Amino acid sequence: MIQTLVAAAETAERPQDVVVRRKVKRRRDWGKIGLGGYFVVFLFFLYIPMILMAILSFQGPTGQLTFPFRAPFSLDWWKTLFDANTFNTIADDVSASGRQSLWLSLVAGGIVAIFGFSLSMAFLRRWRFKSDVVAFYVIMLALMTPAFLVGLGNQLLWKFIGQTPNLWETALGANVIWGIPFAFLVMLAVWNRYDRHIEEAARDLGAGAVTTFREVTLPLVWTGLFGSFLFGFTLTWNDFDRTILLQNGYEAQPLPILIGTWPSSRPILPNLYALGAGTTAVTLFLILVVLVAVTLRLRFRSAPVQQAAEEFGDTVGLGEAGGLAARAK
Amino acid sequence: MSSSSTPEPPGEEAALLALEEIEEAEAILEQQPPKAEAALGEGARGSRGSGWVTTALAAPGFVYIGFYLVAPLVIIILVSFWTWTDAGFQKTWTTANYSELFNDSTYWHNMLSTFETSLIAVAACLVLGFPVAYFLALKVESLRIQIALFIVALAPFWTSFLTRAIAWTFPLMGREGALNQVLIKLQIVSQPVQDFGFSTLSVRLAMIQLYILFMITPLFFSLAQVDRAALEAARDLGGNWWRTFREVILPQTMPGIVIGSIFIFVLTMGDYGTVATVGGGNITSVGTLIYSKIGAVQYPQGAASAVLLVIVLMIGVWVITRFSNLREEL
Repeated sequence: MIQTLVAAAETAERPQDVVVRRKVKRRRDWGKIGLGGYFVVFLFFLYIPMILMAILSFQGPTGQLTFPFRAPFSLDWWKTLFDANTFNTIADDVSASGRQSLWLSLVAGGIVAIFGFSLSMAFLRRWRFKSDVVAFYVIMLALMTPAFLVGLGNQLLWKFIGQTPNLWETALGANVIWGIPFAFLVMLAVWNRYDRHIEEAARDLGAGAVTTFREVTLPLVWTGLFGSFLFGFTLTWNDFDRTILLQNGYEAQPLPILIGTWPSSRPILPNLYALGAGTTAVTLFLILVVLVAVTLRLRFRSAPVQQAAEEFGDTVGLGEAGGLAARAK
Repeated sequence: MSSSSTPEPPGEEAALLALEEIEEAEAILEQQPPKAEAALGEGARGSRGSGWVTTALAAPGFVYIGFYLVAPLVIIILVSFWTWTDAGFQKTWTTANYSELFNDSTYWHNMLSTFETSLIAVAACLVLGFPVAYFLALKVESLRIQIALFIVALAPFWTSFLTRAIAWTFPLMGREGALNQVLIKLQIVSQPVQDFGFSTLSVRLAMIQLYILFMITPLFFSLAQVDRAALEAARDLGGNWWRTFREVILPQTMPGIVIGSIFIFVLTMGDYGTVATVGGGNITSVGTLIYSKIGAVQYPQGAASAVLLVIVLMIGVWVITRFSNLREEL
């Protein structure tokens, strides 16, 4: 009796076993499509001047500053930047300016990274100076002061103390000022996700302060430092408004000054476009390098966590701990 | 305490005292956990112990900022009250620079037109940038694609403003630039519109194009924090698009809007490079005016103009911050 009932119960269709498949017609999100289209138009608006400029830099020898494109396609105008033996050459200026700009930007990037690191660290240690709100506003002041005024103020200050403003002492300092708040904010974001217990664990295992810093802290925050460096580098690499007031004319001009004073100092030819496109390409390449580095690092860092998550069926939400890369998957 | 003057039953007084004690104990108990936590936190932070490490970390940065930012700003204010000489300035106090400036109609005309340009730029960046940030933050589901698109939109920030300004000037907006050629091809105009290049319109468009990233970035970050559940709830409750936008999205993105507006306002008011390049000398702004004064070695006059510009900037920023309680939101 009981057995037959059990058998009947086993074979009977339970309502919860019935899979009901409703056909849900996925509605097209017209808002998304419209906004996506707008986004493409926006990118066009953002990039079109640079693209036009780059195209025009590849014109033939009769090239002009505007369309139509004067054939043939050639690298002649780019050659004038690097080859001192061409007509209309600016190779000497470009190489001097390029070197000047490169070194200035590298040093600025380094200083910005160091200050971003130390200032954000000081903030995290809850600077008990009671003036940390004031200090925060001072750093933000560096962000909000118009470039032009920083240049003007520094020029007046150096005049006041009886010195001639120059690139390495004055312009570099003024350029770093704008980089500091960006680096500071980047590093604050990095520290916010940083677990200080790891440092403690390292110390418990007998590591000294220097070893802890080198082997534990630094590998975890170096992308932030790299990002800070990038801010310092690119802001200096591209700065015009500050540097124009802080150079004295005896030193090789940085590239932006060379480009900016070009229209008033020499004939405007398509090699100006080549120079502009070239400096832009350097920056874009640098961003690409940083992105690739960060992506690789994220993948590398989250791999063990993801494996563990897969092995344990992710019951404890380990996948979340994998962070960005795990979520992206 | 007052027990001698007002006779009360001793039992009641004791009860009151006991209550007080209990309250005190509770207060102490309440205080304890945060204290303990703080102590633990300090322990976790490790080697700090005293504030000198922190001070050592902070001091070089602030000395640097003091020398290259605060001192220069102070000296601008000082010089604006000093007397002009052929060599620059000398330390004789005067207010002549300001009284001269207040009667200088060219300066105020420029201030007004720069302010107008700024307002237009803020409004345009907000209107044009909001859909971009909205699309990136709320319409793109895959995080990877979101980051990729955001970086594509943000990349020009790291490239040269000046180069982009020059790219804007000749190839695009010039008399024979692409825009005029397209307009002629489409037979919208028959003659090239001279007005595009080196014009106020051109300067304003270029500024929007150059600075809009400073609006999109804060907008993106505040939109990304909008509670998606609240959006769905609003939709489920029958709120149409406009009401959802106005009552759910807008209040939550106000900090982003305010920060972006401050950025654009300050950047456009204090701009020199864009106006000089795209305007090609035809267009003046407060920035180019100050620059020409410095070029003419009129330092005190230039400094006074700069101080007035900063005052206008501060008033503007203050007005913008009225729209949202930033300190609370951050």
